[in-house]
Amino acid sequence: MNVCYDNIQTGDMMPPYTSLPITRTHLVRYAGASGDFNPLHHDESFAKAIGLETVISHGMFIMGIAGEAITAWIDNKCLRKFSVHFMGMTQPADLDDFENTKGRATITVTGKVVEKFEENGEKRIRCDIIAQDALGSRKLSGYFIAALP
Amino acid sequence: MADKSKLGFEFPTGYLRVEKNKIAEFAAALSQKDSTNDVKRIYRDEDTARSEGYINIPIPPTFPTGFAFWTAGGLFGIIDKVGADVTKLLHSEEEYEYFAPICAGDMLTAKMKVADMYERGRKERKGRYFEITVLETEVFNEKNELVLRARTTFVER
Repeated sequence: MNVCYDNIQTGDMMPPYTSLPITRTHLVRYAGASGDFNPLHHDESFAKAIGLETVISHGMFIMGIAGEAITAWIDNKCLRKFSVHFMGMTQPADLDDFENTKGRATITVTGKVVEKFEENGEKRIRCDIIAQDALGSRKLSGYFIAALP
Repeated sequence: MADKSKLGFEFPTGYLRVEKNKIAEFAAALSQKDSTNDVKRIYRDEDTARSEGYINIPIPPTFPTGFAFWTAGGLFGIIDKVGADVTKLLHSEEEYEYFAPICAGDMLTAKMKVADMYERGRKERKGRYFEITVLETEVFNEKNELVLRARTTFVER
């Protein structure tokens, strides 16, 4: 990656990143990889018992997808801070009704550089980010700070 | 309901070795790949990582979410300790501050505590009252340098 401070302007957009439609299998894989086995994310009977229609994604899976978006643009080692506020639940796509449910499960992450500044002897940017599904429902908002060469 | 006497509670120190295969597995989950052979090279190949300026394969930015689950007794071990109710739990915020790269092979020490507990809204207004708990984790490397600070905020609705 060749993102450098002098070539970035306030107002520049981060290249958008779109996930595959999230399935229950993706949630199970994420549960295993992260160690977060809250049954809310894989067990339909638990989700229903607490009043939800179906299982929902880990918020941290959506933040992880946002991390994929960021590190497709900025090197991991440049990141100084990454902070998000979760705004909405994400239901996975239903495989028996994929065409009608994939939109709610497809996450697009966008970002916009809002500040350039120097701190701790480094040239840094702050970039606000939003993750939303294909229907426009917001999943998280937040920002990252990166030190750029 | 969260037990306010737990404010300031320090979890037992967690120790973990950052494992190469665990990084690849986590990267595969996030990038929705079936095989760890399909993740970005930087997450599976040491030479690629070194050529990009790391001492070894780096972690994805949200990889530290697993530290607490792997060292503090899993999700239920954590929520039992703070007296929360899993049927009411929602994750509301997550924040990472990165002070130095974390890479495969690093031996880390994680210190997690209950940093804050407070309420929002009024109890008599159903659906408008939340109890909030903030967990803060500081992660140190083998040289005892602070490499990461994480703050996890969850609410009970």
